[in-house]
Amino acid sequence: MNTLTLAWIALPFFAGFSIYLFPKLDKYLAICGAIASAAYAFQLFVMPSAVTLELLDNFSVTLLVDRLSGYFILTNALVTAAVIIYCWPTDKTAFFYAQILMVHGSVNAAFASADFISLYVALEVSGIAAFLLIAYPRTDRSIWVALRYLFISNTAMLFYLVGAVLVYKASNSFSFAGLGAAPPEATALIFMGLLVKGGVFVSGLWLPLTHSEAETPVSALLSGIVVKAGVYPLVRCALMVEEVALIVEIFGVGTALLGVFYAVLEKDSKRMLAFHTVSQLGFILAAPSVGGFYALAHGLVKSSLFLIAGSLPSRNLKELKQKPIDTKIWIALVIASLSISGFPLLVGFGAKVLTVKNLGPWETIAMNVAAVGTAISFAKFIFLPRGGSTTAKPGFWPAVLLLLAGLIGANAFDVQAYTLGNMLKAIAIIGVGWSAYFLIFQRTAIKLPRMLEEFDHLVGFMSLISLLLFWMALPT
Amino acid sequence: MLEGLVLATVFCGFFGIIFKKNLIMKIVCMDVMSTGVIAYYVVVASREGWLTPIISKGKNAAYADPVPQAVILTAIVIGFSIQALMLVSVMKLARDNPTLESNEIEMNNTP
Repeated sequence: MNTLTLAWIALPFFAGFSIYLFPKLDKYLAICGAIASAAYAFQLFVMPSAVTLELLDNFSVTLLVDRLSGYFILTNALVTAAVIIYCWPTDKTAFFYAQILMVHGSVNAAFASADFISLYVALEVSGIAAFLLIAYPRTDRSIWVALRYLFISNTAMLFYLVGAVLVYKASNSFSFAGLGAAPPEATALIFMGLLVKGGVFVSGLWLPLTHSEAETPVSALLSGIVVKAGVYPLVRCALMVEEVALIVEIFGVGTALLGVFYAVLEKDSKRMLAFHTVSQLGFILAAPSVGGFYALAHGLVKSSLFLIAGSLPSRNLKELKQKPIDTKIWIALVIASLSISGFPLLVGFGAKVLTVKNLGPWETIAMNVAAVGTAISFAKFIFLPRGGSTTAKPGFWPAVLLLLAGLIGANAFDVQAYTLGNMLKAIAIIGVGWSAYFLIFQRTAIKLPRMLEEFDHLVGFMSLISLLLFWMALPT
Repeated sequence: MLEGLVLATVFCGFFGIIFKKNLIMKIVCMDVMSTGVIAYYVVVASREGWLTPIISKGKNAAYADPVPQAVILTAIVIGFSIQALMLVSVMKLARDNPTLESNEIEMNNTP
């Protein structure tokens, strides 16, 4: 299994660089990388215990893969495969597919690493590859959005590096477990870096612009998996080091409410989806022990929603109300929206039930509010007029069908959720959300200021968030 | 003392990123910040000694810790490549925004 793990980490990078040598094989190599990851993830699910690898003593690379990483890896494989299928009939160059494989490989590596330095390398590589994907159209706007993304994530990662060396100073090792013995400033700096990279809470407000201005397949990739590379280490640290679990959970609840608050009032479909990413990441963090399953549910649903949103006739929800959309696309949109709202029969339901079951008492109310908010904002999609005749792009249906099949198939991971009480509760939450939508939010036209999304404020908030984290991490 | 100076470099860079208006200056400030971080790794490595950690006969002196130095090499390479990418994109942006003021570029390119 050890050799297999190393081979699996290296494979996407080898395949990615081979694309430069054999540009004709680009799509085939890319899809092979995704399939290999899916196979590896299933291998992890049937394996009895976790694989731990320590290369070269305790100073260096530590890898850890278990069921939790299995969920994340499976998400990565499915989302990447769907994006490649979506781009298959288009005239994207070999460079594009090579970068997709780089993102895939680096995110895989992030899901397998258990020490701060391998994680740093994986996150930076994913940042560079994501930058190249966002800037792929080469327009001024795409270059600016990509530059802003790279700048913010790199600045945050510099703080993270300082935190990592403080951990090393305290315990002579870079492994996640050393965080317990490290001083509070180390926790503050490392978590600040990961919160920015993962798009969590106020530090994640770079995300709406980046994810909404990127091209459709790239947004799906970014929202589906790239942010999870920043979230996974937070989940892993919360599980390994008891002292920081509470901080992670508080930020989870905070980001769930903040994201949903913005999303409910948002009038642009892609921006609303991006704010929902900010919010749904909170559900992953709020219950770290079952975060993996939620990440799978969210990755599948969010990438399918982004792909569908790219096939709607307009981005503005107000215009969409006038233009009827194709009934088949509408059905796909409804299935995905119901899943993210937590409707039974779809994976979002099982994931929400499992998360709520593992919450502390103080979190439950806040998370239920966030769930109602989710139902409110997705009511905007569900009640769009249908019957139009927009044609989808040729690669659209296979990709979306793969993701929707995943949404139904992933129920197999959690069949115990289907009790009468849980189903009634889920339907009640959706009912409350939809009635709130019809009574209040359908007519509101509040426009929230976008000041916090400005570049300077994003950088400035890093210092405030690290102060907040420092104060939270102080031993009481 | 040394640690304080190094951390001061990091903060100089960080505040430069916030207060400088020009995009090139912002990138240079980020480089200053990353220089500070790299220097901090070197300072941490020299906690117990300054000598190069090479095995040799006879001497058993205070060696510098090789691990942080090895680790930071990776970060230097990554930092350098990111810097290069950023400067290339700034070159592209400079065609339509010759002053390179970041808030101007932001205003032109945000919906």
